[in-house]
Amino acid sequence: MRYLKLYRVFLFQNLKEDMIYRSNFMTLVIMDIGFVGISVILFKIIYSHVNTIAGWTFDQSLILIGSVGIIREMAYLTFRRGFLELGSHIRTGTFDLFMTRPIAPNLHLAFRHVSLSESFGEAVMGGALVVYGLMHLHHWNWISILLYGVFLLNSLLIYYGFSLLMNSVVFWVIKSQELNTIVYFFMETSRYPGDIFRGVGKIIFTFIIPIGIIATVPASILTGRIGWGFAVTALIVGSVFLSTGLLVWRKSIEHYSSASG
Amino acid sequence: MTISIQVHKLTKTYEYFKKEPGLAGSLKSLFWREKLYNEAIKGISFEIGEGELVGFLGPNGAGKTTTLKILSGILYPTSGEAKVLGYTPWKREPAYQRQFSIVMGQKNQLWWDLPAQESFILNRDIYEIDPKTYSHNLGELTELFDIKDIIDVPVRKLSLGQRMKCELAAALLHSPKVLFLDEPTIGLDIISQEKIRNYLKEYNKLKKTTVLLTSHYMRDVERLCNRVVVINNGRIIYDGSVDDLMHSYADHKVIRLRFSHEYKGDGGLDKYGEVIERNGLSVVLKTSKVDIARSTARMLNELPVEDLSVEEVEIEEVIKKIFTG
Repeated sequence: MRYLKLYRVFLFQNLKEDMIYRSNFMTLVIMDIGFVGISVILFKIIYSHVNTIAGWTFDQSLILIGSVGIIREMAYLTFRRGFLELGSHIRTGTFDLFMTRPIAPNLHLAFRHVSLSESFGEAVMGGALVVYGLMHLHHWNWISILLYGVFLLNSLLIYYGFSLLMNSVVFWVIKSQELNTIVYFFMETSRYPGDIFRGVGKIIFTFIIPIGIIATVPASILTGRIGWGFAVTALIVGSVFLSTGLLVWRKSIEHYSSASG
Repeated sequence: MTISIQVHKLTKTYEYFKKEPGLAGSLKSLFWREKLYNEAIKGISFEIGEGELVGFLGPNGAGKTTTLKILSGILYPTSGEAKVLGYTPWKREPAYQRQFSIVMGQKNQLWWDLPAQESFILNRDIYEIDPKTYSHNLGELTELFDIKDIIDVPVRKLSLGQRMKCELAAALLHSPKVLFLDEPTIGLDIISQEKIRNYLKEYNKLKKTTVLLTSHYMRDVERLCNRVVVINNGRIIYDGSVDDLMHSYADHKVIRLRFSHEYKGDGGLDKYGEVIERNGLSVVLKTSKVDIARSTARMLNELPVEDLSVEEVEIEEVIKKIFTG
């Protein structure tokens, strides 16, 4: 409860800061819409040659692409930009601040850099794609929409756990630019349906680098393409990623060496 | 007296890697690196009582900031113990974090693009200060630091001195029992430095907050603290009152002379003491403390003295002497 209240206060603080640079906001929105547009066009080109990819129709793929956009914006509204700033906080020693306040450092870091604008365009576009895809589906119901929401959250937690694991390395190597590039591609690749992976690839991309889950599972739920078994697996992967992420992060923080000032 | 800070045989060793200069060195370091150790603090112990205002003095790299960072839970020590208000700092318990504050002169804690007041409000929620206490403390601090007119201005538009005052106010809103200050006057002009010192002194008197401050400006310590801990190369080399420090290390005094006319006597002025400065009719001499009375008498007799004053050596000189041995 306390953290919800703090989140709200930080969110408003960040919005005030964002509003100072309004032109930046519009540029970001337009760029995002452009990028999602390019994805859609790419898929359209592929689907002009085939009817389905690993069983996914074009309309179903739109839901997949849209889900990635929504998860991205959810991440920017919670933790993503904090991690992008982490490297500079550590290099310059401003991470000190997060170590001395009565809030968990990972949440403080996240809240400090909440961003509405960063992926806003992508989320709007994503929402539109999901709705569009949904209207072209034959069967859907309110329960599947509710479950879709639950699994989007689960994916957000997987994403958070993965980011925590990757960014924990910063406390040892100090520079983190490359790490967040990995995280970026992690989300980029999750645009493709997890069903395209087979055999060992399927195991790796489900349990180790769960890009086969992030967008695929929520989108599969909405399109009615998934069995309970895989849905439960996704939930387990989610809780394992989150808890190991937090554990490794906590251990890594002890390694923080600050910057002499 | 209640003890609020207790440090026992604290050490901190940093690990780092040796890198040879140039691109070739960088490439080499990708494959093979020599691990080096830097003992920043080597087993220091001290105790600070509640309400004390103690100065941590030492040259750059002496270990002052490292000690402060350990005491505020930013760094883990390599060995040793420390208790602040009964808590082990590096466990970072929220109950402890609510009761102390750290201000670092070189690190900005306020939101850069927003007015300081916004950061204050955020601190109110982070530290869960109840609204009544908050407005009382805010009123008191804006009054004391004289910042009523600037807390609505974006922080980036403030001068360094104004920003420092706001930083301090932000750090004191939750009425911490212990305050760590790392170089609070660094980069400020003389007048702002003096103001910050006055505010701190007054605040300490008002609230009985325990203050541990590091500085390499001797004035900070001279003006603010009764007790000084001198640290060099990770070891405490002096811990006691500022007066005693002056007494035991300053074995000479400074004599300022003004002559009525040019002095052309034989042998120059060296027989009266070491000449530090000579500028026309003004002379500054350093004389041994032991026979200060006799030597001033001699000067008054033998020299065309128009004005004479005897002064204590500046603390800066004393410290320099301790460090150079």
